[in-house]
Amino acid sequence: MSLDSEGQKRREFMRNSLTVIPAVTLAPSLLFSQSSDAATPPLHQYVPAFFNEEEWEFILSATDRLIPEDEHGAGALTANVPVFIDKELSGDYGQASDWYMQGPFHPNADPVFGYQLPHTPAALYRLGIQGARHHAKQQTGQEFTDLSSEQKDALLTDLENGRADFKAAGIPDLPSATFFAFLLQNTREGYLSDPMYGGNRNMVGWKMLGFTGARASFREWVTQHDVPYPLGPVSLAGKRG
Amino acid sequence: MPQYRNWPVRLVLLAAAVSAAGAAMAVLGDSPTHSQSSISTDSAANPQLIKRGAYLARAADCMACHTREGASKEYAGGRPIESPFGTIYATNITPAPKAGIGEYREQDFAAALRQGIRADGSYLYPAMPYPSYASLSDDDIKALYAYFMEGVPPVTEPAPETSLSFPFNQRWAIRFWNWLFVDDVSNTSSANHSSDLSGDRQQQLARGRYLVQGAGHCGSCHTPRGLFMQEKALNDQDGDNYLAGTELNEWQVPSLRGGDSTGLRDWSEDDVIDYLATGRNRHAATGGEMTSVIQHSTSHLTDADLSSIAAYLTTLGATDKQRVSPAPVSTPPSHTAPDATTRQLTSATSLDEGARLYLDNCNACHFANGRGADSVFPPLSGNTQVNADNPTALISTILYGAQLPSTPKRPERLQMPGFDWRLSNEEAASLASFVRQSWSNDASRVTPEQVAEVRQAHGPGKPAQQGRPDSLDHAREDAASTPPSN
Ligand code: HEC
Ligand code: HEC
Ligand code: HEC
Repeated sequence: MSLDSEGQKRREFMRNSLTVIPAVTLAPSLLFSQSSDAATPPLHQYVPAFFNEEEWEFILSATDRLIPEDEHGAGALTANVPVFIDKELSGDYGQASDWYMQGPFHPNADPVFGYQLPHTPAALYRLGIQGARHHAKQQTGQEFTDLSSEQKDALLTDLENGRADFKAAGIPDLPSATFFAFLLQNTREGYLSDPMYGGNRNMVGWKMLGFTGARASFREWVTQHDVPYPLGPVSLAGKRG
Repeated sequence: MPQYRNWPVRLVLLAAAVSAAGAAMAVLGDSPTHSQSSISTDSAANPQLIKRGAYLARAADCMACHTREGASKEYAGGRPIESPFGTIYATNITPAPKAGIGEYREQDFAAALRQGIRADGSYLYPAMPYPSYASLSDDDIKALYAYFMEGVPPVTEPAPETSLSFPFNQRWAIRFWNWLFVDDVSNTSSANHSSDLSGDRQQQLARGRYLVQGAGHCGSCHTPRGLFMQEKALNDQDGDNYLAGTELNEWQVPSLRGGDSTGLRDWSEDDVIDYLATGRNRHAATGGEMTSVIQHSTSHLTDADLSSIAAYLTTLGATDKQRVSPAPVSTPPSHTAPDATTRQLTSATSLDEGARLYLDNCNACHFANGRGADSVFPPLSGNTQVNADNPTALISTILYGAQLPSTPKRPERLQMPGFDWRLSNEEAASLASFVRQSWSNDASRVTPEQVAEVRQAHGPGKPAQQGRPDSLDHAREDAASTPPSN
């Protein structure tokens, strides 16, 4: 029983010595199931809230190259990383709602001065994807999504090194490297953050690392040497991976 | 509404009792009179007397009812107690003349406290614990009176009026109830403690008994009530029901008798003192109604008085042996071989659902050995709440958490987070069952239906969601901060 709430039921016995509180009929509470996280819909069932169809295709394609599925573990697509990015861009983060976003902006300032562009992350992704697709067309004559893995990697490397010319795509104030930095950072976050944010589906990112999630209690393991830890991860919502 | 399963029956009987009183009145006759006492009308209150009165007001926890929660003005009343027949309000007992009790003479005050009779001669509802206060001594009444007249600032706002529907508004009918269930004479004679006790110990026990039965009105919660809502025993000579433990709206109130299988069997006097002073000790932590008793009353008592209470409670055992010395603590010393549950949780293999849920949710604080940490995380092994026949309190703690009171000796309000947002009814039931059947515990399993009942009684309006990440409501991804722009 929480003591904080005003009107907390102190002195219940006084009621006891008198009468009865009428029953209140309530809707059954929302229940979470702890047993598994499998309820999260897979990627192909997800309808993006932020990205349009072409942007979505680009994000699927690009994140799949940043964390590909391989012998080490699941890739970005299995982990629903694009879902994570779509959700965060349609939320507060996308709107930079708690960032200082007034000028002056000095893109060439030392990095210690922080983010210096006038674009919210949402706007930055729109422009960045536009620039990246334009760059792909220029270099290969094809859509980014239609290219081979090697070609995609080469183009992503161009973005990373700032070699993609976004100005040519009509975007004067976004270095391609900045867009790439956002994309890589958010892809990692989507892969490793708690599943409640939409990514790290079934905790595949944590399983790949051997991270046990939000259990945060290993006191009795300090003295158990050379015994593999037997339990899989658990999420903040209490689900098991 | 399962929470109040047996209430309808009781209500019919209570109503019957009140109506029956009509007939009884004809027999009993005239208007009420205050019973004789040596209380004088002149009270030249001195500061010491007022100070003692203030202390007694703590011991009697007048504040619990007469101060509205969160209100800045003490004793101004207005604490509502809701019922289907109307709301009853504890009154303003500041010395304001009209709004409060400023016009009470000392003998009126004594009659209100000990007999439940208001200055205007009408009867108080027994929500005011006069059946217990009946044993307050004249000296203590005098001190309380001095405090309430001169130590409490007057508050001129009247408390809301109590108006119950018929027949519950028939205050005169309470007389019949009083006649049946309330001792008219102060019961201050001491119990028959073994005569081989030293004089000091005798005195200590007598003091403890006086505080527990009178001012402390511990029995109003810890003694089972009868069909007419009366406490089944008002003191230790009234029978073994006294402080034998009961339930308040299905929340267990432990027995305070040393001899029972739960309750204070394993508690030393120091354990009782720690609990009453701080709400925590090596056996338990308060999380229910006792929290406010400790916060507002017992944590303000002197060590000597707490020792007396503890000493007295240990005399309420079943056997003579327990009367003299409390049973030894049964918690196994830590060097003995770990029990099966501890071993299972330590290896984290062959876990059933409940054990797995324990590791995922509870182990961080209550630990694999179920022993927690002394006065910080209460032990679950051997815990009264965990082993109570009725699992409601345990389920409620699991779902909604608990918070300790802040007391002068231990100000930290340690908190257990609630898990209602994390556990389904089935999961909470498996977890509660696991806890009730592990380590030294031996209590019945809990069903998902029982969990559903607690959830329903709690309602969705006031979720105790300490510990629930905000992000579960709508994902705020501010975790993703600005990446370096290179
Ligand atoms: C468990 C709750 C509770 C506690 C503890 C309690 N009271 Fe009361 N008291 C009440 C209620 C409720 C009423 C009003 C009852 C009624 O309206 O019939 C009341 C009425 C009174 C009255 C009559 C007031 C009037 O308006 O005429 C006095 C005097 C009083 N209390 C004094 C005290 C003192 C002094 C203490 C501590 C020694 C105390 N009470 C402790 C619940 C409590
Ligand atoms: C973050 C630490 C923490 C976690 C996790 C935790 N508890 Fe607690 N628990 C506490 C503290 C602190 C208290 C004392 C609070 C109080 O009683 O006011 C407590 C009290 C209790 C009590 C009441 C004990 C008594 O003496 O009345 C029970 C029962 C309990 N916990 C069971 C559990 C179970 C079951 C879980 C797993 C769902 C759990 N706790 C998880 C810290 C924790
Ligand atoms: C308002 C009702 C109420 C009153 C009055 C009350 N108690 Fe309690 N008490 C409880 C409840 C309920 C519990 C169970 C713990 C909890 O829920 O906080 C409890 C628990 C206890 C415990 C711990 C027992 C255990 O095995 O864990 C002790 C000791 C105790 N009370 C002593 C007293 C004493 C002494 C008094 C009188 C000064 C008193 N109580 C008055 C309701 C009350």
